[in-house]
Amino acid sequence: MTRQDFRIVGQSVKRADVLEKVTGEGLYTGDYAPAGLLHGKIKRSEIAHARIVRIDASKALALPGVKAVLTHADVPRVLHYGSPHPRSASCTRDQYILDDKVRFWGEGVAAVAAISEEIADEALDLIEVEYEPLPAVCDIDAAQVPGAPLIHGVGPGGNLVIPPVHVERGNVEKGFAEADLILEGTFEGGRPVPTYMEPNVCIADWDGSNKLTFWTSTQSSFMVRGALAEVLGLPLNKVRVLVDHMGGGFGAKQDLFQHEFLCALLAKQTRRPVKMEFTRRETFVAGRSRHPFRLWLRQGFRKDGTLVARDMKLVFESGAYGSHSPGVTNVGTASATSLYACENVRLNGRAVYTNTPIAGAYRGYGVVQTYFAIDIQMDEAAERLGVDPAELKLKNAVRDGDIAPSGHPIIGDGLPACIREGITRFDWAAKRAQPREHPTNPAIRRGWGIGCEMHGSSAYPGIKEQGNATVKMNEDGSVTLLTGAAGLGTGAHTALAQIVAEELGVAFESVSVVHGDTDVVPWDIGAFASHTTYLVGSAAKMAAAKVRASVLRRGAERLQARVEDVDLVDGRVFLTANPEQGITVHEAMGPSRGIPAEHLIETASYMPTKSYSFAAHFVEVAVDTETGLVEVKHVLPVHDIGKVIHPIAAQGQIEGGIQQGIGHTLTEDYVIDRTNGRSLNAGLVDYKMPLSMDMPHIETVILEAAPDPGGPWGAKGVGEDPIIAIGPAIANAIHDAIGVRFHHYPITPEDVLKGLRAKEETTNAGL
Amino acid sequence: MKTLVTLTVNGEERSLAVEGYRSLLDTLREEAGLTGTKKGCDVGDCGACTVIVDGEPVNACLMLAVEAAGRDVRTVEGMQAGPDALHPLQEAFMEHGASQCGFCTPGILLMAQSLLERNPDPSDEEIRFGLSGNICRCTGYTKIFDAIRTAARRMAAPPADASGLEAAE
Repeated sequence: MTRQDFRIVGQSVKRADVLEKVTGEGLYTGDYAPAGLLHGKIKRSEIAHARIVRIDASKALALPGVKAVLTHADVPRVLHYGSPHPRSASCTRDQYILDDKVRFWGEGVAAVAAISEEIADEALDLIEVEYEPLPAVCDIDAAQVPGAPLIHGVGPGGNLVIPPVHVERGNVEKGFAEADLILEGTFEGGRPVPTYMEPNVCIADWDGSNKLTFWTSTQSSFMVRGALAEVLGLPLNKVRVLVDHMGGGFGAKQDLFQHEFLCALLAKQTRRPVKMEFTRRETFVAGRSRHPFRLWLRQGFRKDGTLVARDMKLVFESGAYGSHSPGVTNVGTASATSLYACENVRLNGRAVYTNTPIAGAYRGYGVVQTYFAIDIQMDEAAERLGVDPAELKLKNAVRDGDIAPSGHPIIGDGLPACIREGITRFDWAAKRAQPREHPTNPAIRRGWGIGCEMHGSSAYPGIKEQGNATVKMNEDGSVTLLTGAAGLGTGAHTALAQIVAEELGVAFESVSVVHGDTDVVPWDIGAFASHTTYLVGSAAKMAAAKVRASVLRRGAERLQARVEDVDLVDGRVFLTANPEQGITVHEAMGPSRGIPAEHLIETASYMPTKSYSFAAHFVEVAVDTETGLVEVKHVLPVHDIGKVIHPIAAQGQIEGGIQQGIGHTLTEDYVIDRTNGRSLNAGLVDYKMPLSMDMPHIETVILEAAPDPGGPWGAKGVGEDPIIAIGPAIANAIHDAIGVRFHHYPITPEDVLKGLRAKEETTNAGL
Repeated sequence: MKTLVTLTVNGEERSLAVEGYRSLLDTLREEAGLTGTKKGCDVGDCGACTVIVDGEPVNACLMLAVEAAGRDVRTVEGMQAGPDALHPLQEAFMEHGASQCGFCTPGILLMAQSLLERNPDPSDEEIRFGLSGNICRCTGYTKIFDAIRTAARRMAAPPADASGLEAAE
């Protein structure tokens, strides 16, 4: 961790996977087309809550070109989970592959396999379904009314997904008694969806030995393998899951989706390969969103700004199934123990079922919602106390030794470092001293805001994670890394190869990565929780160290030296005292007539605990008081992620996270009609994301302020952090510009105009 | 009923039997074996399937294969001058980290190529406007803008310029 002489780590080496992407050669799941391929399609319900009284597929089956139709009567009735985290509490078994009940508008009720997509589509229309409608509950309030219609017969009662989560530390009542200022507010957020560019897609193919080969766009191939095997009653070695390139996932592609089970069953029945590819519309209706939420927050402060008490009640809307709600509820609730240190906290979190599309895992996993509220209320406290918000946040920021949400002591002063660095780089005080009026346009007001966050790398303690890696030294000195970590686009495989090359002492170019085949690579928990570099990187480093030791031993023998007298750098073993005298790794491996003198293959497992990364985002907005439009002009994100492995990839994570976060805060909301559960904007035109014309100037700053001993050379995660900090930073900047506080997202132009009008009316009434 | 459609794809004449309702996108991917062009929405919203037809950028999902008969179609597979000669845009996308998941990348590369063919020295605003029909959800676009600026500079440089090998092509 203290090493300084890095050769490969810390360099923005060219990503091997990107070469395949810019040439169009990289194969994504949908690019495969095995011979004899059939196309699968799903018939979706047009009612939010109902019992299926009759379902008749005979006309569909009679259509020429249709090879199979599955309804609830034709599939195994196994209660399974949508969030396939093993060995964890974050599983809710509440789903059947197909049920005689529908719980949201758009849920699959039947599946078809046909010789073309067009015939499959036509067959869907020929399936007759008769429903007995049930009363639907389509929002948090309706779900919690005593006597509300029950969506599931499982769970702890009512429409609760899991028993409420309760976290308490210190004495909240005593804390509030010591407070000079108490703030209270209710915060809400909409339903952003990840909108990865590659719609979900899978291909299933069974061979003569009853083995299933399954290509799918997933972040968690081993979880897919486990769930398919369990539901289909197969041993794990009879399910082979393959995934090469992935067109994004952002957390949502951790789930086991209904179409994945159906695709496997259609292929089994037809004995032909079947492909199922979501339409863009289906990625909304049958995909996974962030959890809509309502959060009540009360905090107490002393006159000097010290935070002394925090009381929070949080409700997440899970949609029709539990999916990741247990994990999101636990993480979202526990995150409120931290960020701004507070000894007295009382936190309640719950998740409720509604008859709406499923909320799942999405970058920021429950923390986006909680820190949106906490950071905005901290800004309000600064205003009420008459102090600078950045200074108040710095004063209360968690520091080395404070207890993190996981229960571990925080390592280092990462958050204070980020805030301090940003104050200087953004020229915070000078910017805030400027007039809010635009120099030339009287309709525009300008504002500057700061938002802070922290996020764990790894899902510990919710999941006892395990990172694995296998490193092989080939007889010519080239190296192969085998990893189960998914390549969802972050550049993780490049970072892992850098780590192996650095640790082993060979050139980056001599390391290649094999991934994405559950029959071949070591077991992996999946690419999520900002943990691949931290967790799998540590395992890769350990495996590389073992190979290095063997190469050094072999090299020393060939050089007739003691092993402690030789070194290995850039693929060469040499005498430390006389670097001129050395041999290549190839020579050390001693192949004779093509046969290596020794087979070097090493595997390592790493069980992490937890590290935290930190960020402070500084933002400038321009608010048009005539149209209500908010434009984000400039963002200066400062992140502490420990040792940086690949600077450009890390910047890319931050800038992309900011893009999504700007969308969530200002424009993105997948809207469900609360009266009948219907989707209102399931498409890329009506779901408004920030695109090329909307992106601000981003000036990314990455610090190595608080390295974590659990990561490779102190590296920590970065994937989720940026999307958390940007939201409150924008909301706070809007307040700075126009003096209106918003406690919800997205903050639309209509909201801004309403807010301005309400402020004007209050001012006038005061006169 | 299938129709035989003859078109030029990346400089090569291809005759493909397609149904009248088949899009150019599905035809390229399934009949011509060119899966580099991606399907992100199939309704003309995302730009992932951008190809160049007779010099103009087109969403291949919105054009029928029969409409492309007799026309010149260029896809990402045709960008390279040779096996080891990346197009300056491809090179710059790698260097700048302008591609993460890469699903939007072929469409954005073709759109950028088309932009630079029409306007070899675009302003920042012109680059932003040029990409306004292409959705990227990973990068925040900043590194894509950087890559296009770099490629434009190298493509404008005289062949003797040593700043980039690809400029010598």
